[in-house]
Amino acid sequence: MTEETKPATPPKPEPIRHEPIRLGEPGEHPLSVLLFSWMRSAFFFRFFMGVMAAVGAVMIGFEFIFIRKSYTTIDSLPGFFGVFGFIAFAAAVLSGWPLGRAMRRREDYYDTTSGEAGDDR
Amino acid sequence: MTADQLIRGLAAVNPGFFIIAAALLAAVARDTVVRAVALIGGPIIAGVVLLYPPVAGVEVARTGFLGFDLALYRPDSLSLIFGFGFTLAAALTGIYSLHRRDQVQDAAGMVYAGSAVAAVFAGDLISLVIFAEMATLASAAIIFAKRTGASYRAALRYLAIQSVGGLLLLTGAILYGLAEGSFLFQELGGLWNGVLVGIFDLKQPGAILILLGAGIKAGFPLTHNWLTDAYPNTTETGAVALSPYTTSLAVYILARGFAGLDALIWIGAVMTIYPVFFAVMENDLKKVLAYSSNNQIGFMVCAVGMGTTLSLNGAAAHAFAHIIFKGLLFMCMGAVQLRLGTTKATDLGGIHRTMPWTTLACLIGAASISAIPFFAGYSSKAMIMASAESGMGLTVVWLMLLFASAGVLEHSGIKIPFFAFFSHDGGKRPKEAPFNMVLAMGLSAAICLAIGLKPSWLYQLLPFRDQAIKFLTFDLFSTAHMIQQTELIAFAVFAFMLLKWLKMYPPEREGLILDAEWIWRKALPRVAAGLARPTAIPGRAISALIASTGRRVQGLAAQVFAEGGLVSRKLPLAGTAVWTLAILGLVVLISLFSR
Repeated sequence: MTEETKPATPPKPEPIRHEPIRLGEPGEHPLSVLLFSWMRSAFFFRFFMGVMAAVGAVMIGFEFIFIRKSYTTIDSLPGFFGVFGFIAFAAAVLSGWPLGRAMRRREDYYDTTSGEAGDDR
Repeated sequence: MTADQLIRGLAAVNPGFFIIAAALLAAVARDTVVRAVALIGGPIIAGVVLLYPPVAGVEVARTGFLGFDLALYRPDSLSLIFGFGFTLAAALTGIYSLHRRDQVQDAAGMVYAGSAVAAVFAGDLISLVIFAEMATLASAAIIFAKRTGASYRAALRYLAIQSVGGLLLLTGAILYGLAEGSFLFQELGGLWNGVLVGIFDLKQPGAILILLGAGIKAGFPLTHNWLTDAYPNTTETGAVALSPYTTSLAVYILARGFAGLDALIWIGAVMTIYPVFFAVMENDLKKVLAYSSNNQIGFMVCAVGMGTTLSLNGAAAHAFAHIIFKGLLFMCMGAVQLRLGTTKATDLGGIHRTMPWTTLACLIGAASISAIPFFAGYSSKAMIMASAESGMGLTVVWLMLLFASAGVLEHSGIKIPFFAFFSHDGGKRPKEAPFNMVLAMGLSAAICLAIGLKPSWLYQLLPFRDQAIKFLTFDLFSTAHMIQQTELIAFAVFAFMLLKWLKMYPPEREGLILDAEWIWRKALPRVAAGLARPTAIPGRAISALIASTGRRVQGLAAQVFAEGGLVSRKLPLAGTAVWTLAILGLVVLISLFSR
């Protein structure tokens, strides 16, 4: 059989090249991609907030089941630690608004011309 | 001589001296290897020596000084836990500082660490005060070493307030020793449950001065601003070197001298509360950590005041853990400062992308200080909280400490890592910290995890070992304790996320937050100027009179002595001869009648 009569072999299909999927941002450290990149979405924020609320609620449930309560002292009330933690944290944070307005000054508030303590600016 | 014999021979020496000797080597070391050996080797030798302590409570090295008996080395279970913490911190700081070739900071940091170690092992008041003041001077050199105008002034303010504290300590020590007839601890007080604690009698005026001096060094309310002033004004390694010693040493002095003093319960409780509010407003994250130190030292002071074996164990354990996790957090902020030149929250954010190791270390430090189960703070603070919860009439104090625990979570557990590494992405992409810094942070983080996951090794080092092991066995990881702590933290984190989501979390803003330092940086100079005002008018008149008199005297002198003046005029020869004879005659007369 001559060259001409030989059936034409179909061209080899181009191998599908799987480009590596770029994770994270250009130049980002691989450890950061692994540990933190999945935290950046707005969904994660809401999801994690729900997880925290759920963990807290489960712990209150555990209090009923596992801890024998006398209900005679403030700390023996179920959910006391959760409610206290929430209120204390919120109070500390929200105090930052009025206190900041009252007590924040310019960065150079204490700076003086002479470099010594006083008002000679 | 075998290695064991060598170590036992060295064990007769106060371990702080090895670190001070290494500081002298570090001060002159130009070779990288020699410098590294000095910075890390000195603390390691001290630490190895501490593993072979002589018999606890026995004065190993006693000497005489100006007729007084001094005990330069008296190890016991209280000093050992602080000594281990300090040597560990010194070694970690040495590793952390390897990238920066600064002989001043190297030597000052080592002298500081060595003096603090020497102080906790001193067996008498005089040695304790001398070593404590050596530590103060060395620590001021660390602040000066930033070599900026702001750090120079901060160092002077630091020196001023620390000098007041040091003078109170010294005067109190002398008065107390003279009144009691001895400066030796073991002659000043008796053992309590086998340990020499609470030895000072407050009926002596000297004891009150010692309490005030230690209080300044611990950062009692209104004196606390030396921390928030000094720490931010240091280099990236400076705050790491500063944070472990002075305040912890003060806690040691309070435990040794004033354990069980009721006033300390309330002082400590107040110390835990107010920094929470300042830290919320503060923009500089190193300053936030300084406030956090105020807060954590408050827990220890409160525990010392309660004065039970459990609370004193808690104070000692928390001091040790705090040395490590606060050092770790300062290391993380130091790495950020090195790479970006700032630690202000407004200028940071999003840098976890290129600094993940630092971020991870910071998260472990934050979890540790927040007392999340299985991290360092959980294992150490639990004893303090349990003491307050079970203490008679301490419900309010316990609630204050509980509030402060939620506050710690806010400023150190969330604010520090969130605003430094996550938060709003400002587009900054700094390099990861140098290897030596990452190594030091990694080792510190590993110790935090080791304390949290397997606290038995720390509990065995505590002053009242048996009680500590009992607490570890029955209470630390009890179901109730784990559930309650997890519940507190879960709801506090939920509160943070909710406030963020509702945009009710106060944004970070530039600015300076007024604090007690306003009293001596603004108010007192104003008062002094006001007091001086009534004297201004007569003062100006007197100045004018003095100046005018001076000018007249000057004119008169010129008339008399200047060229052509009275005494320089040419006199006739005869007149000169007469004057010479007259003066000669006068001299003869004086010599005759003076016999």
